[in-house]
Amino acid sequence: MSVVPLPHTLLDALRAEVAAASWFAALGEPLIEGDRADARTYADALGFGPIEIGLAHDWPEAERLLQTPGPSGWWDREDALRRTLLTEAEARYPERVLWTALTELTTHVGDLVHGKAATAAARMGHAAPASIHVAAGAAAQAVYQLAVARLAARKDSPFESKFRLFAAGRWPLGIVGSRLILF
Amino acid sequence: MTDLVVKTVEELKDAPEEYREAVAKLVISHAVNELYGAQVFDEPAIAYAPTAYAKWLTCRVAMEEYGHHVRFKQLGLQIGIPEERMVPGAGKKPLSIFEFPLKTWEEFVAIKLLADLAEILQVEDLLHCTFHPLRNLARATMPEERFHAQFGEDFTSELIKTPEGKATLQTAVNEYWPYLPKFFGGSKSRNNEIFRKWKIKQRTNDEMREDYVKRATEVATKYGLTLPEIREAA
Repeated sequence: MSVVPLPHTLLDALRAEVAAASWFAALGEPLIEGDRADARTYADALGFGPIEIGLAHDWPEAERLLQTPGPSGWWDREDALRRTLLTEAEARYPERVLWTALTELTTHVGDLVHGKAATAAARMGHAAPASIHVAAGAAAQAVYQLAVARLAARKDSPFESKFRLFAAGRWPLGIVGSRLILF
Repeated sequence: MTDLVVKTVEELKDAPEEYREAVAKLVISHAVNELYGAQVFDEPAIAYAPTAYAKWLTCRVAMEEYGHHVRFKQLGLQIGIPEERMVPGAGKKPLSIFEFPLKTWEEFVAIKLLADLAEILQVEDLLHCTFHPLRNLARATMPEERFHAQFGEDFTSELIKTPEGKATLQTAVNEYWPYLPKFFGGSKSRNNEIFRKWKIKQRTNDEMREDYVKRATEVATKYGLTLPEIREAA
């Protein structure tokens, strides 16, 4: 595969999607069918079988779930896929340019979602101060994963539906047993 | 000593060459070391973090460290430093601590507890810098650096709850501590002399090192940890 210039239009479009997203606006709200559909698509694309969709109602409940030791296979599956996609993207684009673009994107997004997470935490109350950083880390990671997938030209990755959940104001907290928990 | 104050990037063009070179050296040093730190410690630590909460918190820390690199690099580009001089492998020798790849979560916690304290001192010394764009960057960076050190304290207080956790953390402290006071450079550093001449930095390397050892000892003692004696003078 030949190395080509980085597609800045692709990254600009992603930045626009990030700007338009309703980050953390629906935390704790009752699930709607769109949430369930995106959650099932995400779990299916990660290779999980039929899965139940659960809801965390508030920040303390979300924090308890996230602090359970040893995140199950979902984290490892996501990361294995991210590494594969990054290798594919690195084969397409000049490495330093790719890394610089991803670093700058993540830095920009991190600052944006941090503020959104802080607003949601203030609105709902009872969030530990560190949890705002955790939420921002999760959201910025989702954008980074999506950017890598799109730069690798993989349109069917689970990172598309994961981002849609975030964009709809949700936070997918992970898969515990046979349940995918949304906040 | 001089009273030169440089309020903008544009004004820097009219500053003496020695001043401009000193500013460039500092910006390059911060840009390179922030990137090394993120690549060698923060990003690999995500895999070692024991819970999703810790993993995403570590993600955020890694992003902020990369963000510091981006900010220093942007300032560097504004003052005419070529990008390739602000990334690793471009001639700027890394600090020795970056030659040891991270192996455990406890090592990362020890690094956040102690190495990020060294970062705080370095940034603190720029808070009165006569080159105001660098001073302003230091101010913007400081809250995140404090958060990273607090991250180290928070996870230290978790780890020391069990004897095994405390012992593993102490082992990590023993391994990394000897490299940390060297962050502050040599006692007879010509660079430091020039930085202070122009009030770009305020303190000698030895003053900063002494303060760092004092503060690191206080934080380690707070959690029942000890810092091993360092035989070789930095």
